[in-house]
Order: sequence, then C-alpha cells, then structure tokens
Amino acid sequence: MRIFGKDRKLGVAINRGRYDLPLNKDEGTNFLRLLIALMSFLAAMALTGSFALDAMTQRWSSGLENKLTIEIPAEMKDGTLRAPADIQTLARQVEAVLRNEPAVKSVEILDDADIQELVEPWLGKDAPLSDIPLPGLISVELNQSTPEDMAKLTNDIGIIDPEIVIDTHEAWLQSLLRMISSLRFAAFVVVTIIAATTITAIAGAIRSRIAVHKADVELLHLMGANDEYIIRQFQRHALMIALQGSLLGTLAAIVVLLTVKYATGENAATLLPTFNVHIVHGAAVAALPLMACLIAALTARFTVLRSLSLMP
Amino acid sequence: MIKFEFVGLRYGVGPEVLSDINFTLEPGSFHFLTGASGAGKSSLLSLMYLGRKPTRGLVSMFGQSINTLERKQLWSLRQRIGVVFQEFRLLPHLSAFDNVALPLRIMGRPEKETRNNVNELLEWVGLGDYKNALPQTLSGGQQQRVAIARAVIGRPKLLLADEPTGNLDDEIGFRLMNLFEQLNRMGTTIVIATHNQSIMDQFGHSRLILEMGNLRVEESRSSLRRKIEGVY
Repeated sequence: MRIFGKDRKLGVAINRGRYDLPLNKDEGTNFLRLLIALMSFLAAMALTGSFALDAMTQRWSSGLENKLTIEIPAEMKDGTLRAPADIQTLARQVEAVLRNEPAVKSVEILDDADIQELVEPWLGKDAPLSDIPLPGLISVELNQSTPEDMAKLTNDIGIIDPEIVIDTHEAWLQSLLRMISSLRFAAFVVVTIIAATTITAIAGAIRSRIAVHKADVELLHLMGANDEYIIRQFQRHALMIALQGSLLGTLAAIVVLLTVKYATGENAATLLPTFNVHIVHGAAVAALPLMACLIAALTARFTVLRSLSLMP
Repeated sequence: MIKFEFVGLRYGVGPEVLSDINFTLEPGSFHFLTGASGAGKSSLLSLMYLGRKPTRGLVSMFGQSINTLERKQLWSLRQRIGVVFQEFRLLPHLSAFDNVALPLRIMGRPEKETRNNVNELLEWVGLGDYKNALPQTLSGGQQQRVAIARAVIGRPKLLLADEPTGNLDDEIGFRLMNLFEQLNRMGTTIVIATHNQSIMDQFGHSRLILEMGNLRVEESRSSLRRKIEGVY
C-alpha cells in the first residue's frame, strides 16, 4: 500500500510504474538523455580543468614565494664573455655578501650538474656544456621578502658587479597567473554555457511533450487535477532522464580523466601540476548529477507551469 | 447548482455560438440538452464543465461565481463534475482500470478504496473482464462504458454527458440511463446532451433546447406537476 501511495504522489498510475501521460515512451527521450550525458561530461572536464589550474597556481606561487635567482651573465654588456673562473669568483663574492644578510635564509651556488639539469628539457641529456657559455646562478631563499630587504640586496650586489641580475620571478609569474586566471574564467564560461544549453534543451523537450500530449494534459486539467499533479509527472520524467544522463556523462569523464592521469604518468610531472583528487573537488564533480537533476526538475516545473497557466 | 445569466460565447473573433443563455439548474435535477447538430450543445457543456470561460455574462456553479474565481479555486469545482465526452477521451496508454481510477487518484483517494470502487463499477458496466485492456482494444460501446464509469466513479455533484448512449445498444443504453437515474436520486445533478428522442420521451425529464445558439427550457411533466402541486 505504501508503494501505491508513493506512486500516486508522483502522479504515476499505480503499481505498474506508469505515468498518467506516457512521457517515458516519447520519441526524443534517448536523445535528451544522451545530450545531458554529453553536457555532464563536458562540465566534469571543465570543472576538473579549473581545479587543475587552481593546483597549478598554488604550486607555482608557493614554489616561488620568497625565492629569487641571482644571475651572473656569461656575456657582459660590451659583448665580451666572462671566463668561468671569473663567474665563480663573482659567485663566491655574492654568496659571502648574502650570507651576512639577516633577511637571507639560504644561499646555494648552482654547480654544473644543477645547470645541466635545468637546461636538460631544452638541450637534452648529453648537451656539451663546456662549449656553451653558461651564466652563474645562485638560488636564494629569503626569510621574508620586504621591499627594504630587496633594495638593500640589490644595492649590495650592484656594488660587486652592476651587471649581476636579480630575478624575483615576479614578472613571468604574474603573466602566468593572468593566463591561468583567463583560463579559469573560460572554464567558468564553458560551465555556464553547458548549464544554459541543458536548460534550453530540457525546456524545449518538455514544451514538445506538452504539445504532443496537449489533449491528455487538458483532460487531466478538466478532471480537476491541480497544477502540481500534472507538473510532478513532467518533473519526475525530466529528473529521471537527467539523473541517468548525468551519471553516464560524469562517469565517462571520470574514466577519461583517470586514463589521462595514468597515460601521462610521470612524464608531465615536472611541468604539469600533480593531479590529485582533493575531497572538495571530488565532491564537486560528484555533485554534477545532482545539479543536472536540479536544473532538469526546475526547468520542467517552470515550463509546465507556464503552459498550464494558459489553461482556464 | 448552475446559473447562467446572459451568457455569450464566441471563438476568437468569430460570431457568437451561444447568445444570451439564461437558465438555472437546481441541485438534484435531471435535464436533457438537445438541439440540432451545430446548435452549440458541446460549447454549452464545455462552459458547464469549466473547460472554457464565457465571453460575456455571468456563470455561477455550486454557489460560486466563475467569473470572479481564481484558477486555483476552479480545481476543486472541476472535481465535483463528471464528464462523459462524445469522443470518450480515454487515455490510450492506460488500461480500462487505470482510466476509470484516474479521477479518484487526482482527488487523492486511498488506493484500496480506489481499487474496490473501480472494480465494482467496471463489473457493473459489464467490463469486469476487461480491466487490463487498453482502450484501443475495446469496441466503441465498451470504450463508452469506460468513459461513463470514469465520469461517475467520483460520485460527482454534477454529471455532464455528451451523447452517452450514442454507441450503445438499447439494453445497455437503458441500463446506463438507469445508472444516471440512480445517481440523480442520490443527489447528482445530471445534464445529458442527446438526440435520442425515445430516451428523452421514456425518461421524461426537462429539456434544454438549443436553437441557433439560443436556449429554450422545456419543463418535464413531473417538474410541472411538482410546481402545480406547490401552488395548490
């Protein structure tokens, strides 16, 4: 009896799981389900992309915070090359100055092996470094980067050699962050367009179903069915399609993302952020089917309500 | 029960199909609505089952003015009206049982009560063996009986029937008229649109006669007798 009661509340013809209106047998149901699956897939991908960009921003920002690189150029402004020994000497002088600075936490002169590792992605593993004029590089970590500290460091190092360059990474990091911010906005736009497309598709489908079953809807209306009774049938129908479609799309997206993760493996680890599923991100992707259901139910509700309001 | 005062109806910008309709139906009365084809019987019935609103005039149903009621207030009024449509209007994907059960489900009646009532009524109209049949597998007469069962299952206060005996043989037609009489005796107001002169003569109720969109009321012998007895 309880099942009957539940079914009746849903506007379904008793225990056979039928609707008063044969919405589940309508043409276009599979198409709508597929469309929602594709939209959910794209939304899941866009959302994951947005999370990956977040991770990238965090990694690069935190990795370079309070850090700077001091470069002793291999070539001077007048075009002459510095001898490796001169570069080493200058590096030692800079190191000595830096070690006496209270603002400096650590100093490390990069040796040939470190530089080899740095240029490896561009020049390959077996690049003959002895034939290439390499700059001297000093990696510095500060306790805290204040403008006053930076001004003092710049001044002290400038006294050693005015051509020594202090790179705080700020310039390129800012452009990178701007680019990431643009990409995240693009992801947001994509998700918004997906939601709008889904709403439009569901509203169109519901309108066409109302048109197909106009006589039956009118009959229920004439029998005294209130708007809620009729709306429930369309709402439940849209909700079921959205649930099936979005689960399919989201699962497909998860499979694709896991495949990409395992296919790229360690290769992209140096350049790309590590793709770890944070619980919040996982919950957001898992919530996609719920969002799709909510969108579908509300769209169906308001579309049917609008049509019913035209009846006397 | 029903009061029409100077009611007119037109479709779009066309001419009036009903003009200055005036009549009152008392609770528990029984009427035949008759007239030539195209006289406006179905249009008048549609106004009575609240399928449309009049273009002009005042309509009062169950003591409430339809002209001033909001949409939401019409839902409960419609639940008090049973309608047998000329073209039956059964839902083709629902079984005979589910079609008949529909008004009770709309009213939110308990499923057990619904099952008992629907089974009993289907037995009564001779369709006990066709409960699970879809309408398209039934004959015209059987479909009509399902439509009638659907109209009366909710014990309506007002029953409107458009040519309800049109597809039935005389015996079934007579039985159904007796069902309407029985409902009428229980207090249901009945309006039956029909061309069937013999049924009108046999049951002798008052007639609402539509001619070119105008209505004329012809009192029944019994109602005239009642009025005369009331005077003397």
